[in-house]
Amino acid sequence: MKGLRLYLRSRRAPAATGSAAGILVVMWVLWESSSNSPEAGLQMVVLTILLLVAALTMTLSGPDDELDRTGALPWPALRALHLSTALVLIGGQLLITQLTGARFGPTSLALRDIAGLLGLTAASAAVIGTAKAWFVPLGWTLAAVLFPQGDSLLGRVLTWQAQEPSSRAAAVTATLLALTGLLAYAMTGPARKAPGDATTQ
Amino acid sequence: MSRVLRIELRRSAAIGAAASLAALGSLAMYFAEGISFSTGWIQLAMTQRWYLALLWPLMLAAGAWQARREHRSNVGELFATTPRPVSQRVAPTLGAMAIAAVAGYLLMGVAGAAWIFDTAGYLPAEVFVVTGVGALALVAAAWLGLAVGRLLPSPVTAPVLGVAGLGLLLMLPLATRPFGWLGLILSPAAEMNMPGDYATVPGEVSAAQSLWLAGLAVAAVLLLASDTWRNRSAAVLPAAVGVALAATVIPHENRLVTDAVDPVARELVCAEGEPQVCVSRAHQTLLPEVTGPAREALAVLQRMPGAPTRVHEDTFAYPDTYPEFRTDTVLLRVAAGRTGQLANKPNVLVDVVSGAFSSPPACQNPPASADQLAAAHWLMGTEPLAPDREPLGRPDPGYVVEDASVEAAEVWAHLRALPRDEAASRVGALREAAVNCLPAQGWLR
Repeated sequence: MKGLRLYLRSRRAPAATGSAAGILVVMWVLWESSSNSPEAGLQMVVLTILLLVAALTMTLSGPDDELDRTGALPWPALRALHLSTALVLIGGQLLITQLTGARFGPTSLALRDIAGLLGLTAASAAVIGTAKAWFVPLGWTLAAVLFPQGDSLLGRVLTWQAQEPSSRAAAVTATLLALTGLLAYAMTGPARKAPGDATTQ
Repeated sequence: MSRVLRIELRRSAAIGAAASLAALGSLAMYFAEGISFSTGWIQLAMTQRWYLALLWPLMLAAGAWQARREHRSNVGELFATTPRPVSQRVAPTLGAMAIAAVAGYLLMGVAGAAWIFDTAGYLPAEVFVVTGVGALALVAAAWLGLAVGRLLPSPVTAPVLGVAGLGLLLMLPLATRPFGWLGLILSPAAEMNMPGDYATVPGEVSAAQSLWLAGLAVAAVLLLASDTWRNRSAAVLPAAVGVALAATVIPHENRLVTDAVDPVARELVCAEGEPQVCVSRAHQTLLPEVTGPAREALAVLQRMPGAPTRVHEDTFAYPDTYPEFRTDTVLLRVAAGRTGQLANKPNVLVDVVSGAFSSPPACQNPPASADQLAAAHWLMGTEPLAPDREPLGRPDPGYVVEDASVEAAEVWAHLRALPRDEAASRVGALREAAVNCLPAQGWLR
């Protein structure tokens, strides 16, 4: 139990979950006060998921990843568990809104976008480092939300975040991204930090 | 100083930000909404401004991320003991981010220019002004991001700021509903989508936007360089002054950019030789393609008494700018296709001949388009066929060109059955009725 507590603290899990909850509350209040519809709009849902994923991105690295690696722990399993917990956490927060007057859903869309964006951010963390990992999902998702393309297969794949929940192309893309991110991050862990990003994030 | 700036350019987020801006901006221009800048340079400059809706929030986020560097590397305490003013330390960062914003935006412009380089002719000065204001908007975004990132050094600041910036730009048109001009000042992307062929951005608009953006940039610098809360709250002042000055400069009307028409772009440019064929300056590179079939059509029309002797482009501009109507001139719609070539080339001949049976724009009952087509084909001696028409100009999926060819073929067959002189006099009467704005129904049937 002590190990878990130390792990969560070193990954700044309290701060990350706190920011995530705060972001969800703000987005919930924004929708609740600006619209009469109980179902939050697709853009709103996608952007909320993007922010929740960005908030949890900071837990993908500790203060000293090199030191962490020296611990005799089953890192791949631990990192995979970490990502799955993040998925459940974000999904659970969005599920809670289903009980309220501004519902962030539908569940299939939420699950698809959470999994895809978490995979994307985990893959970015493995390649360019945790400090910059949020940028790839942000840039891609803002573009997809602003200019969704539904006509061609390529368009549906490239703007998968903003497709309807029934879109198979989007679901396949999200699954691939999720698996890629899971594998890349679980196997290699976060990329080594640039000198400018040393010590605390 | 320049050495520090060079190091800052290498070590900060500047290169990454510039590369992301250029890459995302170019992709958006080519794939997001279809290519709407094939007509020329001002359309390219305005399209670039439209995609600031995406790039402006991202630059905010990049600035906010850059501002957390001191926090990430745990040197805040060290710097606090250094007896140098903050302003001296932040200047190179401000410079590096500004250079990145301008470079990324210009690279995006170069990517767009590659598409129209050999097909665009008319280059008004507004192109540079519109591009400059766009670059200024990105500089202001980067600096504002730096300031906010320094005030709130959290890992989620940057992504939240990006999404908030996007939300702000999306909400502005709604939030400023009855005062569209206010939204136009505040948002660098407002009203810039789908620029028309004679589009322009009025000078007052660019001036007002520059004032606001400059105010915002100064406010961001103050916010970034000041250490006390009193100085920080004073940073509101330049932004407020910017908006106030902008509001005095801009005319208080709505749809200022959407309804603006560049009179120089509408002026006619004529081909060498006779008969006269002219297109607008904005379409001058299409003139060689228009001239041949247009002159051929004028030759066909000579079989009719009082036939028109000139072809001018129909320089109608939304909402109510019509070209002058003259009985000796046929007005032809000219539009550039996706690649900047003439979009309706196979139809120029038919369009000009049938255009001779058009009425002035204010007429209540002009000839039916089937009658115009039938008369034109009778003069040409060919059967009306369904037009092989590329959609004119810009991609517009819901738009279907009315096909009058089936009805026209019936009228044409009826005309052919008549004796030649009788048919000729009816066709002549149709033209007389059309150009003199008399009721034109029933002459051919």
